[in-house]
Amino acid sequence: MMNMDDALNTFIIEGRELLEQMEEALLRIEQMPDDADTLNAIFRAAHTIKGSAGLFGIDHMVSFTHVAESVLDKVRGGLVPIDSELVALFLAVRDHLSLLIDGVAAATEPDVETTRAGEKLVDKLRTYLGQKPPVVSGPQTPVEHVADLEAEPGRGARSGDGVHTDNWHISLRFSPDVLRNGMDPLAFIRYLGTFGRIAHIVTLADKVPSLSALDPEASYLGFEIGFHTDADKATIEGAFEFVRDDAQIYILPPHSKISQYQDLIERLPPEELLLGEILVRCGTLSRAELADALRRQSGQGETESQQPIGEMLVEQHSVSPRVVEAALDKQKQVKEQRSSEGSLIRVNADKLDEHINLIGELIIATAGASLIAQNVNIPELNEAAARLSRLVEEVRDSALTLRMVQIGATFTKFQRIVRDMSAELGKDIRLDINGAETELDKTVVEKIGDPLTHLMRNAMDHGIEPAEVRLARGKPAQGTIGLNAYHDSGSIVIEVSDDGGGLPKQRILAKAIERGLVGPEQQLSDSEIYDLIFEPGFSTAEQVSNLSGRGVGMDVVRRNITALRGSVDIQSREGAGVTMRIRLPLTLAIIDGFLVGVGGSSFVVPLDMVVECVELSAQETEAAQGRDHLNLRGEVLPFIRLKQLFDISEPAVASNAGETEDGLEADKLSWRNRSTSSLLTQEGAAALASDPELAFLLNPVKRENVVVVQYAGHRAGLVVDRLMGEFQTVIRPLGQVFHGLDGISGFTILGNGNVALILDVAGLVRRVSGREGRRNSKAMSYVSSE
Amino acid sequence: MTTAAPLHCLAITGEFTIFTAAAWREQMLAALAAADEIEMDLSQVSEIDSAGLQLMVAAKREATEQGKVLRFSGHSAAVLDTLDLTDLSAHFGDPVLIHSAD
Amino acid sequence: MAKNIMIVDDSASLRQVVGIALRGAGYDVVEACDGKDALNKLDGRKLHLIISDVNMPNMDGISFVKAAKQLPAYKFTPVIMLTTEAGNDMKQQGQAAGAKAWVVKPFQPAQMLTAVSKLVLP
Repeated sequence: MMNMDDALNTFIIEGRELLEQMEEALLRIEQMPDDADTLNAIFRAAHTIKGSAGLFGIDHMVSFTHVAESVLDKVRGGLVPIDSELVALFLAVRDHLSLLIDGVAAATEPDVETTRAGEKLVDKLRTYLGQKPPVVSGPQTPVEHVADLEAEPGRGARSGDGVHTDNWHISLRFSPDVLRNGMDPLAFIRYLGTFGRIAHIVTLADKVPSLSALDPEASYLGFEIGFHTDADKATIEGAFEFVRDDAQIYILPPHSKISQYQDLIERLPPEELLLGEILVRCGTLSRAELADALRRQSGQGETESQQPIGEMLVEQHSVSPRVVEAALDKQKQVKEQRSSEGSLIRVNADKLDEHINLIGELIIATAGASLIAQNVNIPELNEAAARLSRLVEEVRDSALTLRMVQIGATFTKFQRIVRDMSAELGKDIRLDINGAETELDKTVVEKIGDPLTHLMRNAMDHGIEPAEVRLARGKPAQGTIGLNAYHDSGSIVIEVSDDGGGLPKQRILAKAIERGLVGPEQQLSDSEIYDLIFEPGFSTAEQVSNLSGRGVGMDVVRRNITALRGSVDIQSREGAGVTMRIRLPLTLAIIDGFLVGVGGSSFVVPLDMVVECVELSAQETEAAQGRDHLNLRGEVLPFIRLKQLFDISEPAVASNAGETEDGLEADKLSWRNRSTSSLLTQEGAAALASDPELAFLLNPVKRENVVVVQYAGHRAGLVVDRLMGEFQTVIRPLGQVFHGLDGISGFTILGNGNVALILDVAGLVRRVSGREGRRNSKAMSYVSSE
Repeated sequence: MTTAAPLHCLAITGEFTIFTAAAWREQMLAALAAADEIEMDLSQVSEIDSAGLQLMVAAKREATEQGKVLRFSGHSAAVLDTLDLTDLSAHFGDPVLIHSAD
Repeated sequence: MAKNIMIVDDSASLRQVVGIALRGAGYDVVEACDGKDALNKLDGRKLHLIISDVNMPNMDGISFVKAAKQLPAYKFTPVIMLTTEAGNDMKQQGQAAGAKAWVVKPFQPAQMLTAVSKLVLP
């Protein structure tokens, strides 16, 4: 069973994270002051900290954060502009909150210095709220003072601009869903009666429609309440704690400054401009006070835009330009709020998937239309088709961004796992998160959690050494697990790193040989050795712990990642740590592809993996014959002939000497327009064709197309017959029957209805780079043995 | 105001809350459609919440829009308590039994 | 007529303490020891409030609330979730399930009484 301390720890961790996010957002906001998301991130951080602090009764933190939040609310409403001064102030606020959280962690009340620093910040914040800093007379205990910051009940000497009532004023607007959520607004008002007296109440029923238009389960009522109580503001606020998310609640203490009522008027929607009148009816303001407020403010305002709204107010009281302006500001603010609310719509993921599937179909249909347009060759039609393709592409891009979510939430969960694990293992381990704001497809995010958990557990269990070992190695006793995410050429890369002992190469190799996974004489590159830990049933842990399992899992990890069209590779330095690098496609649904033809078949290569296309000259192909790599501008490029790989029969290729000439003739025709000058002599061709080892030379001689692809730092060439250009494609998963088919990750339907297979470039590159690695290590062993 | 024919009566009974709001709305609409003068008897209302209160406001509004007369009568203790809490008695303008002076 | 409250928690002592406090204040109290038990006890009788723990054997509080909200008689019944976690994740799940009010454990009986009376007075 957990206790309050555990929950408090969670709060501390959460608070620190929020403050980190807040800092990031603050640093970002100066560059893009209009970015609603960034601003919301700042607001949310403050809001969440306030809420959580309240849960733990950390009042000084609640009241401090509350003031900050109020200012942020104004910023969000466009009433306070973002400038470097404001950013600097909020950075200071953030730092102060960080101090307060440290205090909570150390279970100490803030000291005088901290309290004073907090007061100064609050004073600065209040200037943005249009409130004068309170005159502090004499020392006060920190808690009391901070708790009273906003309330300022002023029970003592009333300053000249306070209003003449002993009542609190409570303004309530409920969200339409409040009733459906099981909350009855009347219940909260009744509860007020348990610790005070409702002196006046005005029920705002004007939003209730006629019965035929009424949604019987939606809430329409609002309330303005004059409330007499000896309880403090926190108690009053507490009455509404369960509707905090479902209501707008404003609480003004007795004798509040008139400017605060002004503020309240500003906060409420324009259709409720009668508020001044309501306040009077509530007995909160006397009519004279209202008039006084209006008169005194009138000196400050500009008088330009009073025309439209003025009328209603003019009828009722001595209206001032200042109030009209406030009203107009209000209107603007409400509109802006609405639009920012509008930018946050919860959408059922299924609907989104359906939408994206439809866009997939649209892309295919558009490709079909383009194809027909090309065949018909009417310029106008071509142009229209091109424009359509471009638009569809834009629609696709914007639709895909809908699915993008930040990986941060997934990362954050690991804080807990790290904490729990380190306690269980008796190791002191810290989690270092970077790139939490990196976005990727929601489906990918959902599916990556388990593999990540496994890698993290593995790193903590097997990677991080016990403290004694670490100290002996000259490392800090505290181990660090890093989680890092970033975008890299159409992929997202997630790194799980540790600063532990690194992978024991020799032990892995020995184990692999023992298990018969590799032969004793086999030469493996470092990365091939590391890769062995992903083999089924492989474990090197000398002590099998119950946490990261018995070697079950790493193979599953790779399988899961491969299923997402991703890959995982390992970098390790013995004694210094391991980095597991997961590379995933940003999205699973649609890719930009490069269409190539081999024989009668079409293949799609994901475009972001294509580096270049080269034509091999006679010399190059000749030089490459019999080998599986060629020389590309001095670089060794391993290559794969798709024709061989997929065993595609090619009618145009001579299969025996007798047909060679025909084959050549046919090819001559088809290649006539190319600048190919090198044709073999008939004898030569016949000789080659008769030699099955060399028969394929016939084709290369007429130049081959090589698509150079790159994945995870490795390059490879794919030898194909035809380059057919860029092509947008919707990935469809292979059915069970074809599952696990080597080199293929899916299929797609072309505009003309034919099927094209999507190449699993990651797999292909891994295949040849492994080959290359082996060759290199062989070469090295030759060198050493010579 | 005294009764005048043709008068349609609807007795609202038991729970007059979010749980029953949708059903009562249907019944109230039917009652409003049935006559030009409608009386809704609230004497058997055991429980009322914001949803019930809204229904009363909405029904009154509907009646006004249709040019009909709607009266609430026999307010039960639960209804009176709620009208009192929200200070809405005047809003409905129906004669309400005053139980105790305050 | 007294208001009915159901308290669902796997800790018998907690149910007892809460039960004593609530009955003392004038509520009627139904007790259930986990989500499954609670669901079985939802027999259509009016409940004015459900207080449920999250972490329970057999059926957790979130699944229970989700199931209860499917029943017309409890669709709009307010729910107070008892939790040791201030985690947003859990809350979001709870919110989605229909629980809008949360009370963090450990709490004093008086605190529970206060929380309850904010939603339903006796």
